[in-house]
Amino acid sequence: MTAHFRNLLVTWVLLLVLLAAEFGASFLPLARSARPLILIPVVLMVAAVGTMFMQVGRGPTIVRLFAVAALLWLSALLGLGILDPMTRIEYHVQDASRK
Amino acid sequence: MSETSLPHGFQYSNAGHQSGTAISGMWLFLATEVLFFGAIILSWIYCRHWNPAGFDAGAQKTQLAIGTINTVILLTSSLVYSAGLAFIEAGNRRRLIQCCVITWALGFSFLILKFGLEYYKDFSANLFPGSDFAINGALGGGARLFYVFYFVSTALHGIHMIGGLVLVGWIILRARRDEFTPLYFTPVAVVGLYWSFVDVVWIVLYALIYLVGRGS
Repeated sequence: MTAHFRNLLVTWVLLLVLLAAEFGASFLPLARSARPLILIPVVLMVAAVGTMFMQVGRGPTIVRLFAVAALLWLSALLGLGILDPMTRIEYHVQDASRK
Repeated sequence: MSETSLPHGFQYSNAGHQSGTAISGMWLFLATEVLFFGAIILSWIYCRHWNPAGFDAGAQKTQLAIGTINTVILLTSSLVYSAGLAFIEAGNRRRLIQCCVITWALGFSFLILKFGLEYYKDFSANLFPGSDFAINGALGGGARLFYVFYFVSTALHGIHMIGGLVLVGWIILRARRDEFTPLYFTPVAVVGLYWSFVDVVWIVLYALIYLVGRGS
Protein backbone atom coordinates (compact mmCIF):
# COMPACT_ATOMS: atom_id res chain seq x y z
CA MET A 1 0.00 0.00 0.00
CA THR A 2 2.68 2.48 1.04
CA ALA A 3 4.80 1.37 -1.93
CA HIS A 4 1.87 2.04 -4.26
CA PHE A 5 1.41 5.56 -2.90
CA ARG A 6 5.14 6.15 -3.25
CA ASN A 7 4.99 4.98 -6.90
CA LEU A 8 2.09 7.34 -7.57
CA LEU A 9 3.99 10.23 -6.03
CA VAL A 10 7.16 9.40 -7.99
CA THR A 11 5.09 9.28 -11.20
CA TRP A 12 3.63 12.70 -10.43
CA VAL A 13 7.11 14.16 -9.79
CA LEU A 14 8.36 12.55 -13.02
CA LEU A 15 5.44 14.12 -14.90
CA LEU A 16 6.28 17.54 -13.49
CA VAL A 17 9.95 17.12 -14.47
CA LEU A 18 8.94 16.16 -18.02
CA LEU A 19 6.54 19.11 -18.10
CA ALA A 20 9.38 21.42 -17.05
CA ALA A 21 11.63 19.86 -19.73
CA GLU A 22 9.17 20.46 -22.56
CA PHE A 23 8.36 23.92 -21.19
CA GLY A 24 12.07 24.83 -21.21
CA ALA A 25 12.67 23.21 -24.61
CA SER A 26 9.89 25.32 -26.13
CA PHE A 27 12.08 28.42 -25.71
CA LEU A 28 15.06 26.91 -27.54
CA PRO A 29 15.79 28.53 -30.91
CA LEU A 30 15.05 25.38 -32.92
CA ALA A 31 14.33 25.44 -36.63
CA ARG A 32 10.61 25.54 -37.37
CA SER A 33 10.70 22.05 -38.90
CA ALA A 34 12.52 20.67 -35.82
CA ARG A 35 10.16 22.16 -33.26
CA PRO A 36 7.84 19.12 -33.11
CA LEU A 37 10.78 17.40 -31.33
CA ILE A 38 9.47 19.23 -28.27
CA LEU A 39 6.75 16.56 -28.27
CA ILE A 40 9.19 13.82 -27.15
CA PRO A 41 8.53 14.44 -23.40
CA VAL A 42 4.80 14.31 -24.22
CA VAL A 43 5.15 10.68 -25.36
CA LEU A 44 6.88 9.83 -22.07
CA MET A 45 4.20 11.66 -20.07
CA VAL A 46 1.41 9.79 -21.83
CA ALA A 47 3.22 6.49 -21.18
CA ALA A 48 3.66 7.38 -17.49
CA VAL A 49 -0.03 8.24 -17.02
CA GLY A 50 -1.09 5.11 -18.93
CA THR A 51 1.05 2.73 -16.92
CA MET A 52 0.86 4.23 -13.43
CA PHE A 53 -2.41 6.17 -13.14
CA MET A 54 -4.49 4.12 -15.61
CA GLN A 55 -2.68 0.87 -14.73
CA VAL A 56 -2.89 -0.57 -18.24
CA GLY A 57 -0.90 -3.60 -17.13
CA ARG A 58 -3.31 -4.51 -14.34
CA GLY A 59 -6.67 -5.29 -15.98
CA PRO A 60 -7.68 -8.28 -18.11
CA THR A 61 -5.53 -9.12 -21.17
CA ILE A 62 -8.08 -7.57 -23.49
CA VAL A 63 -7.36 -4.18 -21.87
CA ARG A 64 -3.80 -4.33 -23.24
CA LEU A 65 -5.22 -5.40 -26.60
CA PHE A 66 -7.51 -2.34 -26.70
CA ALA A 67 -4.65 -0.06 -25.67
CA VAL A 68 -2.37 -1.43 -28.40
CA ALA A 69 -5.23 -1.27 -30.92
CA ALA A 70 -5.78 2.39 -30.04
CA LEU A 71 -2.11 3.15 -30.72
CA LEU A 72 -2.21 1.15 -33.95
CA TRP A 73 -5.33 2.93 -35.20
CA LEU A 74 -3.86 6.29 -34.22
CA SER A 75 -0.64 5.46 -36.10
CA ALA A 76 -2.66 4.51 -39.19
CA LEU A 77 -4.75 7.69 -38.94
CA LEU A 78 -1.79 10.02 -38.53
CA GLY A 79 0.53 8.06 -40.84
CA LEU A 80 -1.88 7.93 -43.77
CA GLY A 81 -3.11 11.44 -43.04
CA ILE A 82 0.31 13.08 -43.26
CA LEU A 83 1.46 10.99 -46.22
CA ASP A 84 0.27 13.59 -48.72
CA PRO A 85 1.63 16.78 -47.12
CA MET A 86 4.96 15.13 -46.30
CA THR A 87 5.56 13.74 -49.79
CA ARG A 88 3.95 16.30 -52.09
CA ILE A 89 6.36 18.29 -54.25
CA GLU A 90 5.25 21.82 -54.94
CA TYR A 91 5.96 23.20 -58.39
CA HIS A 92 5.70 26.96 -58.60
CA VAL A 93 4.25 27.98 -61.95
CA GLN A 94 4.58 31.42 -63.38
CA ASP A 95 1.40 33.43 -63.78
CA ALA A 96 0.74 33.38 -67.57
CA SER A 97 -1.17 36.69 -67.46
CA ARG A 98 1.95 38.54 -66.30
CA LYS A 99 4.43 39.41 -69.00
CA MET B 1 -16.26 -13.22 1.55
CA SER B 2 -14.49 -13.09 -1.82
CA GLU B 3 -15.19 -11.04 -4.93
CA THR B 4 -16.59 -14.11 -6.71
CA SER B 5 -19.39 -14.44 -4.12
CA LEU B 6 -20.63 -10.86 -4.64
CA PRO B 7 -23.90 -10.21 -6.51
CA HIS B 8 -23.49 -9.88 -10.29
CA GLY B 9 -25.54 -9.63 -13.47
CA PHE B 10 -27.00 -12.88 -14.84
CA GLN B 11 -24.82 -12.73 -17.94
CA TYR B 12 -21.58 -12.82 -15.94
CA SER B 13 -20.03 -15.89 -14.34
CA ASN B 14 -19.06 -13.91 -11.24
CA ALA B 15 -18.52 -10.36 -9.94
CA GLY B 16 -14.88 -10.43 -11.07
CA HIS B 17 -16.03 -11.18 -14.61
CA GLN B 18 -18.49 -8.27 -14.43
CA SER B 19 -15.80 -5.91 -13.13
CA GLY B 20 -13.32 -6.97 -15.83
CA THR B 21 -15.96 -6.43 -18.51
CA ALA B 22 -16.73 -2.92 -17.24
CA ILE B 23 -13.04 -1.97 -17.21
CA SER B 24 -12.48 -3.49 -20.66
CA GLY B 25 -15.53 -1.62 -21.95
CA MET B 26 -14.13 1.68 -20.73
CA TRP B 27 -10.79 0.93 -22.43
CA LEU B 28 -12.59 0.18 -25.69
CA PHE B 29 -14.49 3.47 -25.38
CA LEU B 30 -11.20 5.26 -24.74
CA ALA B 31 -9.72 3.62 -27.86
CA THR B 32 -12.51 5.26 -29.90
CA GLU B 33 -11.77 8.55 -28.12
CA VAL B 34 -8.12 8.25 -29.20
CA LEU B 35 -9.34 8.25 -32.80
CA PHE B 36 -11.69 11.16 -32.10
CA PHE B 37 -8.87 13.32 -30.78
CA GLY B 38 -6.46 11.77 -33.30
CA ALA B 39 -8.38 13.47 -36.10
CA ILE B 40 -7.94 16.80 -34.30
CA ILE B 41 -4.19 16.16 -33.93
CA LEU B 42 -4.05 15.32 -37.64
CA SER B 43 -5.68 18.68 -38.44
CA TRP B 44 -2.94 20.38 -36.38
CA ILE B 45 -0.19 18.54 -38.32
CA TYR B 46 -1.81 19.29 -41.66
CA CYS B 47 -2.54 22.97 -41.02
CA ARG B 48 0.86 23.69 -39.46
CA HIS B 49 2.66 21.94 -42.31
CA TRP B 50 1.14 24.27 -44.90
CA ASN B 51 1.13 27.43 -42.73
CA PRO B 52 4.07 27.12 -40.33
CA ALA B 53 4.83 30.81 -39.85
CA GLY B 54 1.22 31.92 -39.36
CA PHE B 55 0.45 28.93 -37.16
CA ASP B 56 3.41 29.69 -34.88
CA ALA B 57 2.49 33.39 -34.84
CA GLY B 58 -0.89 32.35 -33.45
CA ALA B 59 0.69 30.02 -30.87
CA GLN B 60 2.86 32.84 -29.55
CA LYS B 61 -0.26 34.81 -28.56
CA THR B 62 -1.60 32.04 -26.31
CA GLN B 63 -1.66 32.35 -22.51
CA LEU B 64 1.30 30.13 -21.61
CA ALA B 65 1.09 30.70 -17.84
CA ILE B 66 -2.58 29.71 -17.63
CA GLY B 67 -2.00 26.68 -19.85
CA THR B 68 0.93 25.52 -17.73
CA ILE B 69 -0.92 26.00 -14.43
CA ASN B 70 -3.85 24.06 -15.86
CA THR B 71 -1.52 21.22 -16.86
CA VAL B 72 -0.14 21.00 -13.31
CA ILE B 73 -3.72 21.07 -11.98
CA LEU B 74 -4.78 18.15 -14.17
CA LEU B 75 -1.66 16.08 -13.43
CA THR B 76 -2.28 16.62 -9.72
CA SER B 77 -5.95 15.69 -10.06
CA SER B 78 -4.99 12.36 -11.66
CA LEU B 79 -2.57 11.69 -8.80
CA VAL B 80 -5.21 12.48 -6.19
CA TYR B 81 -7.89 10.35 -7.87
CA SER B 82 -5.45 7.42 -8.20
CA ALA B 83 -4.70 7.77 -4.47
CA GLY B 84 -8.46 7.69 -3.79
CA LEU B 85 -8.74 4.44 -5.74
CA ALA B 86 -5.89 2.96 -3.68
CA PHE B 87 -7.64 4.10 -0.49
CA ILE B 88 -10.93 2.35 -1.29
CA GLU B 89 -9.01 -0.80 -2.23
CA ALA B 90 -7.62 -0.62 1.30
CA GLY B 91 -11.13 -0.05 2.70
CA ASN B 92 -10.79 3.65 3.55
CA ARG B 93 -14.03 5.15 2.24
CA ARG B 94 -13.55 8.51 3.98
CA ARG B 95 -10.23 9.08 2.21
CA LEU B 96 -11.81 8.10 -1.13
CA ILE B 97 -14.44 10.79 -0.67
CA GLN B 98 -11.81 13.36 0.28
CA CYS B 99 -9.70 12.49 -2.76
CA CYS B 100 -12.73 12.70 -5.07
CA VAL B 101 -13.73 16.09 -3.64
CA ILE B 102 -10.19 17.41 -4.21
CA THR B 103 -10.20 15.95 -7.74
CA TRP B 104 -13.54 17.62 -8.44
CA ALA B 105 -12.28 20.95 -7.10
CA LEU B 106 -9.12 20.75 -9.22
CA GLY B 107 -11.15 19.90 -12.32
CA PHE B 108 -13.50 22.79 -11.63
CA SER B 109 -10.50 25.13 -11.16
CA PHE B 110 -9.23 24.01 -14.56
CA LEU B 111 -12.53 24.97 -16.19
CA ILE B 112 -12.65 28.34 -14.42
CA LEU B 113 -9.11 29.17 -15.53
CA LYS B 114 -9.74 27.92 -19.06
CA PHE B 115 -13.15 29.32 -19.85
CA GLY B 116 -13.50 32.06 -17.24
CA LEU B 117 -10.07 33.63 -17.58
CA GLU B 118 -8.17 32.38 -20.63
CA TYR B 119 -11.06 32.55 -23.09
CA TYR B 120 -11.89 36.02 -21.72
CA LYS B 121 -8.32 37.16 -22.43
CA ASP B 122 -8.39 35.55 -25.88
CA PHE B 123 -11.64 37.24 -26.83
CA SER B 124 -10.45 40.57 -25.37
CA ALA B 125 -7.32 40.35 -27.54
CA ASN B 126 -9.48 39.68 -30.65
CA LEU B 127 -8.03 36.22 -31.10
CA PHE B 128 -11.32 34.59 -32.03
CA PRO B 129 -11.07 34.01 -35.80
CA GLY B 130 -13.68 36.53 -36.92
CA SER B 131 -13.76 39.85 -38.75
CA ASP B 132 -11.74 41.71 -36.08
CA PHE B 133 -9.03 39.07 -35.81
CA ALA B 134 -5.85 40.52 -34.29
CA ILE B 135 -3.28 38.95 -36.62
CA ASN B 136 -3.43 40.15 -40.21
CA GLY B 137 -1.23 40.26 -43.27
CA ALA B 138 0.77 37.30 -44.55
CA LEU B 139 0.51 35.46 -41.22
CA GLY B 140 -3.22 36.04 -40.80
CA GLY B 141 -4.43 32.92 -42.62
CA GLY B 142 -2.24 30.50 -40.67
CA ALA B 143 -2.97 32.26 -37.38
CA ARG B 144 -6.71 32.00 -38.01
CA LEU B 145 -6.34 28.28 -38.67
CA PHE B 146 -4.39 27.95 -35.43
CA TYR B 147 -7.14 29.65 -33.45
CA VAL B 148 -9.83 27.51 -35.10
CA PHE B 149 -7.82 24.49 -33.90
CA TYR B 150 -7.37 26.10 -30.48
CA PHE B 151 -11.03 26.88 -29.85
CA VAL B 152 -12.39 23.62 -31.26
CA SER B 153 -9.91 21.37 -29.44
CA THR B 154 -10.11 23.15 -26.08
CA ALA B 155 -13.92 23.32 -26.24
CA LEU B 156 -14.14 19.58 -26.97
CA HIS B 157 -11.69 18.87 -24.16
CA GLY B 158 -13.73 21.12 -21.87
CA ILE B 159 -16.89 19.16 -22.68
CA HIS B 160 -15.03 15.98 -21.72
CA MET B 161 -13.92 17.68 -18.49
CA ILE B 162 -17.51 18.57 -17.64
CA GLY B 163 -18.46 14.93 -18.25
CA GLY B 164 -15.62 13.90 -15.95
CA LEU B 165 -16.81 16.26 -13.21
CA VAL B 166 -20.31 14.77 -13.41
CA LEU B 167 -18.83 11.26 -13.11
CA VAL B 168 -16.57 12.17 -10.17
CA GLY B 169 -19.58 13.82 -8.48
CA TRP B 170 -21.53 10.59 -9.02
CA ILE B 171 -18.70 8.62 -7.38
CA ILE B 172 -18.76 11.02 -4.40
CA LEU B 173 -22.52 10.52 -3.96
CA ARG B 174 -22.24 6.74 -4.18
CA ALA B 175 -19.29 6.67 -1.79
CA ARG B 176 -21.26 8.78 0.70
CA ARG B 177 -24.03 6.16 0.49
CA ASP B 178 -21.38 3.58 1.43
CA GLU B 179 -21.75 1.65 -1.84
CA PHE B 180 -18.04 0.89 -2.28
CA THR B 181 -16.00 -1.67 -0.40
CA PRO B 182 -12.53 -3.19 -0.84
CA LEU B 183 -14.31 -5.95 -2.81
CA TYR B 184 -16.50 -3.71 -4.95
CA PHE B 185 -15.09 -0.47 -6.37
CA THR B 186 -15.38 -1.03 -10.13
CA PRO B 187 -17.16 2.31 -10.84
CA VAL B 188 -14.32 4.14 -9.03
CA ALA B 189 -11.76 2.41 -11.27
CA VAL B 190 -13.76 3.00 -14.47
CA VAL B 191 -14.26 6.72 -13.77
CA GLY B 192 -10.55 6.97 -12.90
CA LEU B 193 -9.68 5.64 -16.36
CA TYR B 194 -11.85 8.30 -17.99
CA TRP B 195 -10.43 11.08 -15.80
CA SER B 196 -6.82 10.12 -16.52
CA PHE B 197 -7.60 9.87 -20.24
CA VAL B 198 -8.93 13.44 -20.25
CA ASP B 199 -5.63 14.32 -18.54
CA VAL B 200 -3.68 12.55 -21.34
CA VAL B 201 -5.60 14.49 -23.99
CA TRP B 202 -4.70 17.75 -22.27
CA ILE B 203 -1.00 16.76 -22.02
CA VAL B 204 -0.96 16.45 -25.83
CA LEU B 205 -3.06 19.57 -26.50
CA TYR B 206 -0.92 21.64 -24.12
CA ALA B 207 2.23 20.92 -26.15
CA LEU B 208 0.51 21.47 -29.51
CA ILE B 209 -1.15 24.73 -28.49
CA TYR B 210 1.32 26.45 -26.19
CA LEU B 211 4.79 25.02 -26.78
CA VAL B 212 5.64 23.96 -30.34
CA GLY B 213 5.21 27.40 -31.88
CA ARG B 214 6.49 29.36 -28.87
CA GLY B 215 10.17 29.98 -29.62
CA SER B 216 10.16 30.07 -33.42
